[in-house]
Amino acid sequence: MKEKLEQLRAEVLERLEGIKDKKELDELKIKIMGKKGQLTEILRGMGSLPAEERPKVGQLVNQLRQELEERFEKAEAVMEENLKKARFALETVDVTMPGKKKRVGGLHPLNSVLESIIDIFVSMGFDVVDGPEVETDYYNFEALNVPSDHPARDTQDTFYLTEKFLLRTQTSAAQIRTMEKRKPPIRIISPGRVYRADEVDATHSPVFHQVEGLVVDKGITMCDLKGVLEQFAHEIYGPETKVRFRPSFFPFTEPSVEVDVTCGECGGKGCRVCKGAGWIEILGAGMVHPNVLSVCGIDPEIYTGFAFGIGLDRLTTTRHKISDIRLLFENDLRFLEQFSR
Amino acid sequence: MKVSLNWLRRYVDIKVPLEELCEKMVQAGFEVESIEDLSKTMDNVVVGRIEKLEKHPNADRLQICQLNIGTGELLRIVTGATNVFEGALVPVALHDSHLPNGMHIKKGKLRGVESNGMLCSGQELCLKESDYKGAEVNGIMILNEEYPLGTDMREVLGLDDIVIDFSVTANRPDCQSILGIAREVSVVLKEEFKKPVPSYKTKGGDVNDFISVTVEDYDLCPRYVGRVVTNVKIGPSPAWMQKFLKSCGMRPINNIVDITNFVMLETGQPMHAFDLRDVRGGKIIVRRAKDGEKMTTLDGKEHTLNSEMLVIADAEQPSCLAGIMGGLDSEIKDDTTAIFFESAKFRRDSVRRTARTLGIRTESSARFEKGTDIMNAEYAMERALSLIYELGAGDIVEGVIDRNMGLPKDRVLEVTVSSVNGLLGLEIPGDTMVEILNRLSIKTTLAGDKLTCVIPSFRDDIEGRADIAEEVMRIYGYQHIVGTPIKGEIVRGRKSHERLCSDRIKNRLIAQGLNEIVTYSFIPEKALDMLGIGEDDSRCRAIKILNPLGEEYSVMRTQLVYSMLNVLAINYSRKIPAVRFFEMSKVFIPDSLPITSQPEERPALSIGLYGEQEDFFTLKGLVEEVLAEFGIEAEYRRSSEPYFHPGRQAAAVVDGIEVAVFGEVHPDTAARFDLSCRVYVAEIRADILMSAKESIVYYKPLPRFPAIDRDLALICDKELPVAEIEKVFKAYGGKFLESVQLFDVYEGAQIEKGKKSVAYRLVFRSAESTLKDEEVDGVITKLIEKLNEKGCYLRS
Repeated sequence: MKEKLEQLRAEVLERLEGIKDKKELDELKIKIMGKKGQLTEILRGMGSLPAEERPKVGQLVNQLRQELEERFEKAEAVMEENLKKARFALETVDVTMPGKKKRVGGLHPLNSVLESIIDIFVSMGFDVVDGPEVETDYYNFEALNVPSDHPARDTQDTFYLTEKFLLRTQTSAAQIRTMEKRKPPIRIISPGRVYRADEVDATHSPVFHQVEGLVVDKGITMCDLKGVLEQFAHEIYGPETKVRFRPSFFPFTEPSVEVDVTCGECGGKGCRVCKGAGWIEILGAGMVHPNVLSVCGIDPEIYTGFAFGIGLDRLTTTRHKISDIRLLFENDLRFLEQFSR
Repeated sequence: MKVSLNWLRRYVDIKVPLEELCEKMVQAGFEVESIEDLSKTMDNVVVGRIEKLEKHPNADRLQICQLNIGTGELLRIVTGATNVFEGALVPVALHDSHLPNGMHIKKGKLRGVESNGMLCSGQELCLKESDYKGAEVNGIMILNEEYPLGTDMREVLGLDDIVIDFSVTANRPDCQSILGIAREVSVVLKEEFKKPVPSYKTKGGDVNDFISVTVEDYDLCPRYVGRVVTNVKIGPSPAWMQKFLKSCGMRPINNIVDITNFVMLETGQPMHAFDLRDVRGGKIIVRRAKDGEKMTTLDGKEHTLNSEMLVIADAEQPSCLAGIMGGLDSEIKDDTTAIFFESAKFRRDSVRRTARTLGIRTESSARFEKGTDIMNAEYAMERALSLIYELGAGDIVEGVIDRNMGLPKDRVLEVTVSSVNGLLGLEIPGDTMVEILNRLSIKTTLAGDKLTCVIPSFRDDIEGRADIAEEVMRIYGYQHIVGTPIKGEIVRGRKSHERLCSDRIKNRLIAQGLNEIVTYSFIPEKALDMLGIGEDDSRCRAIKILNPLGEEYSVMRTQLVYSMLNVLAINYSRKIPAVRFFEMSKVFIPDSLPITSQPEERPALSIGLYGEQEDFFTLKGLVEEVLAEFGIEAEYRRSSEPYFHPGRQAAAVVDGIEVAVFGEVHPDTAARFDLSCRVYVAEIRADILMSAKESIVYYKPLPRFPAIDRDLALICDKELPVAEIEKVFKAYGGKFLESVQLFDVYEGAQIEKGKKSVAYRLVFRSAESTLKDEEVDGVITKLIEKLNEKGCYLRS
């Protein structure tokens, strides 16, 4: 009996060595360990043994069963491991091949820049308000301290719809509408489309976009204006950006300034982008003219305020180094896609 | 404002480099548009006299000149010109000289004879007859005046100057003059402003014996100053005056006209000189023109005037358009012997309107339009007379005519130092403010916190503390403004509801692969014709622009389809195979035409597609996406837009309102845009989407029990809309019908002609238990019965 077991053990171990296939392994396992397997046969044959030998042989059989089970398990594990290895080798991909993407679209560059501007100002507590594009002479000029004989009107060639109605030449008209409706403290920006009768060329378009800003409260100073614009410039152009005021003239602000930022390309040293100046003009601003406050029923002796007007199209073209403003309105997909992210 | 640096130096010392001057002026509010160094055009060209002329030994056509250029040694130069002679003064280009035509002259040998430079023709110096008399003769330019030998030709030609073009803002008309700029320069450089003091002697007589002046319309002409000069000797003005005029872009004409132009440039006050002979009746009348009155200006053009225009007339007819241009018949002529000088103040809006109406723009009208100083009229006249005297151009008659309705007194403004600082956010000492304001000719004293400022007549723009703050600040320096964090109550910023809705629409479409476009709000009037939209359609009621840039941009759009098709066409013409676009913009809906109130500016959305992947249903899918964003379920009906394919267009209708119309563009319409592929466009009422009620999503329990699927293949009339079938499912599907999905539509082989096969998958599920087949069978039987009534039969 014992020899029989030894013989079986040797036989199984030898066969296990040679097996390469899972199916073969399973068959062998059934043949040996299955209900009708050889080992079971042996166990069954124990009945013919003398009673005193049975426990001993039983122990031997169980020992062998345990050993063989372990052997089979191990062989299975090795085989599975090998199978996986083979599969992985087969399934290995070229990771440098391009990823598969679903094409998404994108905002127009003017509006993606506008969204960044809106985010900056909303975070500083500015409300976003919209004004009409068809304006009256009163809101576009008169109330902004530009009476009919004012020479400033010459510099803004206006599209008229009737004698009274026109296409607004500046988002500043929204200042008046806001101040008529709200009382200080006021903190708004008003983005929108404006129109001037400029012939189309690389830097001019009869339709363009501005973002007007207005703050009115007690004790607002020019230093506050600079503080707000510095924060804006840092967000848009980077934290190293410096802001400079230059005196200028707008009828609806006094004092009025042009606002320059250090050129992002050269950091202020002077380069081709800034034409050697080291500075780039980005917007006009100033303290709200007392006449404008008065017109809106706000007492200029009590309240002061500042206003600024950002040229969105110019900001967009300089930010993305777009050489010709016409590209913005042409909407060539190959142009637009460059800004889809 | 073009400013000659040499002219400027007459009135203020400039001891700093040009760059520093410009930088300081920019900081004070005068941007530098350009700097033109006239001397850069040539160098090393001097005046020389031909002392001796000999024949060239080896060439018949060449001559050897010995030139005296004031160095003591004679210079040998070979020339091919034939108009030279001994004793002639000529421009000599020395060795290593540069000429304005780009030539670089070096010494060399001509047929074996050394030549140390070149004699120049007027052409080589880029000169015209008007620049220098005799410049256009064939040959070497012979100088017609005596100059010290060796004089730099730039000096002779007035090219030893630098011209700075300052941009002057609309609030500073006083700086449309050399003296105005000189005053600002004196302030920024802290130098003395040396305003010229006119002085002259009269020859007696009485101006009233020569002329009488009547101002009828003081509202348009608040001041009119006149003087008479007799024994006038017309001739060229001196070289120095011509140089200044030319450097500022004016053409010298004769001594009298040049004086008026010189005074205008210098003082900012336009002047006019009349030939006294041609002032009929010895009368000057400042009056409004009569309607239809005619006048010929000195450029030879005849104008028809109206009663809004101010003229300077004589006893009979207008002889000058006030402040704009003189008349042809009273202009200064070569034989003029007596003149009447005018220096006046005309109201700026009147000059502006007349100049615009007649389409004339002159240096004079530009200055009047910006506004002139009423007090300066008198000073300019004095300055002109002192030049007449200095040049000996005539005899000044005693007596001034000065018509006005009273001259303004100096305005006194009181502001506090603290209020100025309060606006600026700084602590500028009162003394500093006083010092700055006084330098700006604003006579200011300080008492405690109070500044008392006497505003000079030329600073009309200064009205209150904000203006004083600006004057102080631009001289004190804006670099002192230091940014401070904004103060005040904590306020929350937010976007408007419309903007938030618009963001949602955009995000939804971007995720579907659409790119946003931006187009102009005005379109051609013929745009609606191109779309085939008839005149009675409300979209034809578009607001017209009175002064459009051209037909292409002449009406405010009432729809976005035209602009979208245009953009699709541009992309198609550039061989871009497929595009998906949308535009969010406004359309302009007038209440009446012409408008009497502000039009409705209605938010609108358009979608445009073409490409192999696109069809009617990809477009419809996008429309559904947008509506779904706002929880809107629409009914889809056939529509009848002329610009769409009649069988492939629909309107999405909600509560009886068309929220969207969309479809495949009619091939005829597409052809008008040179689009020869299938194009799909939708126009959506974004305003209605934005007004949709916000709905909150409520959670539905996830299914716990398995579903039963049933597929139904139906045969029905080809014309039957599937929506009709779906209505049946909806009405009779019972409470367990979870979803209905159309998965196949088929026409063709094995299907009877005029019929189609439609296949649906119905999913049934109960939330409480596992459904049994029998429970579903009953529903299916009922559905088939109802479908049969609609002419739909199960496909066998």
